[in-house]
Amino acid sequence: MVHVDKKEALNLGAIIFAFLAVLTVLEFFIAITIGAVMLLVVIALVKAGLVGYYYMHIYRLNLEDESAHESYGYKTGTNRLGLWLFLLSDGFVFAGLAIARFNLLGLTRPHLNQSLGLLVTAVLLISSFFMNRAETSMEHGDRKGFLLGISLTLVLGIGFLLGVVGVEWPQAIEEGVTPASSAAGAIFFMMTGMHAFHVLTGVILLLVVMRNGARGLYSGEKHWAVEAAAVYWHFVDVVWIFFYPALYLIGTLLA
Amino acid sequence: MKTKNPVPRSFLLLLIGGVLGYGLGVGLDVLVTGQLDFVAPLAGLFALLGTVLAFFFGLVGYWGITRGLVFQVVGTLAGGLFVTGIRALMGLPAFGGFFFSEPAWVFGALVGGLASLVGVGVVSDWFKWAKGEQTPEHHHDPEGYVKYFGVSLDHKVIGIQYTVTALVLMGIGGLFAMIFRTELAASQLQFLTTTFRVFDQNGLQFYNTLMSLHGIIMIISILLGVAGMINYLVPLLIGAQDMAFPRLNAFSYWIAVPAGVLLVSALFLGGFDTGWTGYPPLSTRSPVGIQMFFLGVFLAGWSSILGGLNLLATVVRMRAKGMTAFRMPIFAWAAIATSLISMTATQLIGLSFQLVMFQRLLGMGFFDATKGGNPVLFQHMFWFYSHPAVYVFVLPGLGVISELLPVFVRKPLYGYRWVAMSSLGIALVGFLVWAHHMFASGMNEYLRVPFMYSTLLVAVPTGVKFFSWVATLWKGKIETPTPMLFVLGAILVFLLGGLSGPPHGTISVDLHLTDTYFVVGHFHDTMFGGYVFPFFAALYYWFPKATGRRMNERLGKLHFWLMTPSFLVLTFGMMRVGLLGMRRRIADYDPQLGFDLAHLIMTIAGYLIFISVVIFVYNFFRSLKHGELAENNVWNSRSPEWQVPSPMPVHNYDRTFEVVGEPYDYGLDGSKYVQFEDETIIEVEKIKVIEG
Repeated sequence: MVHVDKKEALNLGAIIFAFLAVLTVLEFFIAITIGAVMLLVVIALVKAGLVGYYYMHIYRLNLEDESAHESYGYKTGTNRLGLWLFLLSDGFVFAGLAIARFNLLGLTRPHLNQSLGLLVTAVLLISSFFMNRAETSMEHGDRKGFLLGISLTLVLGIGFLLGVVGVEWPQAIEEGVTPASSAAGAIFFMMTGMHAFHVLTGVILLLVVMRNGARGLYSGEKHWAVEAAAVYWHFVDVVWIFFYPALYLIGTLLA
Repeated sequence: MKTKNPVPRSFLLLLIGGVLGYGLGVGLDVLVTGQLDFVAPLAGLFALLGTVLAFFFGLVGYWGITRGLVFQVVGTLAGGLFVTGIRALMGLPAFGGFFFSEPAWVFGALVGGLASLVGVGVVSDWFKWAKGEQTPEHHHDPEGYVKYFGVSLDHKVIGIQYTVTALVLMGIGGLFAMIFRTELAASQLQFLTTTFRVFDQNGLQFYNTLMSLHGIIMIISILLGVAGMINYLVPLLIGAQDMAFPRLNAFSYWIAVPAGVLLVSALFLGGFDTGWTGYPPLSTRSPVGIQMFFLGVFLAGWSSILGGLNLLATVVRMRAKGMTAFRMPIFAWAAIATSLISMTATQLIGLSFQLVMFQRLLGMGFFDATKGGNPVLFQHMFWFYSHPAVYVFVLPGLGVISELLPVFVRKPLYGYRWVAMSSLGIALVGFLVWAHHMFASGMNEYLRVPFMYSTLLVAVPTGVKFFSWVATLWKGKIETPTPMLFVLGAILVFLLGGLSGPPHGTISVDLHLTDTYFVVGHFHDTMFGGYVFPFFAALYYWFPKATGRRMNERLGKLHFWLMTPSFLVLTFGMMRVGLLGMRRRIADYDPQLGFDLAHLIMTIAGYLIFISVVIFVYNFFRSLKHGELAENNVWNSRSPEWQVPSPMPVHNYDRTFEVVGEPYDYGLDGSKYVQFEDETIIEVEKIKVIEG
């Protein structure tokens, strides 16, 4: 399955991360200057496409597998399809929330802490970068690199959770954006809450995978659990790629 | 080990459990309220739980389902007490009208539902994986019927579990319908009066609860029945050993069991009066029961989502050699179309109910216009699932019709590719029509016309199916054993349902028909034609495959000839009074309207349908033991599952097969659908002999 050598793969991950970082900064400046909604949507789609192709390697769904139905390789292919179908299904929840947001608020947005928003977005994006390194290392049988990558991912993931639930929520409530205050408040807490719940499940999955990886249960050939946890983690990141502009950037500020 | 028949003991325990539970409930109620109330909601709830627990304890002992139920009860109490404690510490009122406060009930019910999964043991393999332990690919099921009451990873066992659960829920939903149908038999209120009192509801509230629960319990029953057919049949039809994810498959079934318990428990917690649609703002003011309804639908929704996912992965990855897309059985196509819908759209009903749930619990203003919310948004989200959902209900049924028709006509299915594609066509168009439920809701008017046209477009792929069925019947050698009777009945009834659909889809007519009994008549026609009749056909048809015995033909025919005319009378009656102005979802109507006779006839027809189903249930259990032994290929079918002995061997096909021809080429000389492994070997050996 692995066609490139380790260094090349890690470099590719870093280049993609650089693109994502530049796009995020660009997005932020477009929002605070010209505020072109369509441009923000396009940037989000490009970012999601980059993560989907290079980090979540969606193209692997197309891998032909001639081996027997009982083999590990064939089963991994089936598992991969199952996971992607689950992500498609889960995507409908987030799409539904995004539609609710635009139905209720239109092109307005609640008053939120912009620098904190950019910070947690950056933290989640960087965690995706390290998750990619962890998975790539495992693909090449490098358990040390894997453990380093996954522990950094975990730290950043927990940092994101603390940033949103521990800092952003109390701040918003202090400024009068509470769940019960208005539809805008309700939408903000529902979207961030649903996303944070997914981050939390991702953190639990990563903890399980890290522990089993440390015990040497995965190898370069057999590490479906690592791949699954990675793809799920990147998916949660992709959701935030859309939710961040939807909550923080798009629209005029509500009075 | 088994020496005595445990069924009588179970029924005895059922009585004792009910009485003990009832006593406990009355006692708890006295403790909290200080008054003796013999129809207290808690008494009813505990009586129900005690009954169910004792019944399963008598039948299977402390194992599988019993443990799941115990865990669910304990989990609910623990979760409820946890929230109650927190509320007490925070200085909020700790107890509510139904013992617990509403947040405590919601959290408790959620904890109970998840605890039930742990109790049943359906997640233990995943916990082992998380701990880094290996688990065997195939678990060995115990002998006999006990395996149906615990976790099994065998898709055939799970399919039967689904089917029987669906029948049980159908019985409960049907019973509810009988109660309110009886009240409707004459104008004025007879027994569900304003002075009637049960479970903290008066007669009218109880009517609303029964009506709402009839809707949702039947819908969940249909979802489980569909899942039962798909689970049992698709792996056999495509030549797979099992579903792609057997553990997920078991999980999908077992999450539906606590869901069913939650739905029924709504009856005791004040019920709810919104109908199964749960529109806010009414649903934000209903009693606590509506939260149980939301949670029940939420859990059952996960069953549907994960089942759909599993099926798609199975069909894509597990087909037998040579089974290309257009050599798959039509039922597999129908299952794909159904699963595409249930896997994606179901999330939206779950989300819409969650939002109402949070609006009730935390005051979040999604659908509260005073806070800038929008009640119509709920309807959009709700119908984005709930319209495609009706295709989830009917597509597998229509697949069964196309599957069985060629067998009993002894002719190829007409237009195979068109029929296969029409299922997908219905599923895809089905995603674009949801707002036709909202023509009268006050949504943006410019949305009406596009949704009208997309709605009428559904008639095109559906018409393809009808043309195929009629053309298949044309000049065929038609035999009419019971399954075929139900297939023909399904075609007739679904035609009536289909023809009464376009009037609703047309805005000008719909504005007058909205919320009348005409809608109810149309809906029951589509559900019976698209699901109930084909479901019975499938049960009669594959019963020998699952059990090795045939169901009694005479009783089966009695079932059909009792049910079909009664059903037609019932729905024609509904449509007639609907056209004359009878509103739906009401407990009473004005005697001056002159509907009394029509309603009396409908009620009698309803009872006849109920009796016919009782005959079916009797036939089902009787045939399990005393049915005529079935030969290998009772219906002379070409399908692979009939080429091996009945009941189906544990690991399905001991010999693998290859698909070498078209699936429905009945009556064509020398055509073959599947070739089993050793047949090829024999032929090769023959050639060798000749060559030698």
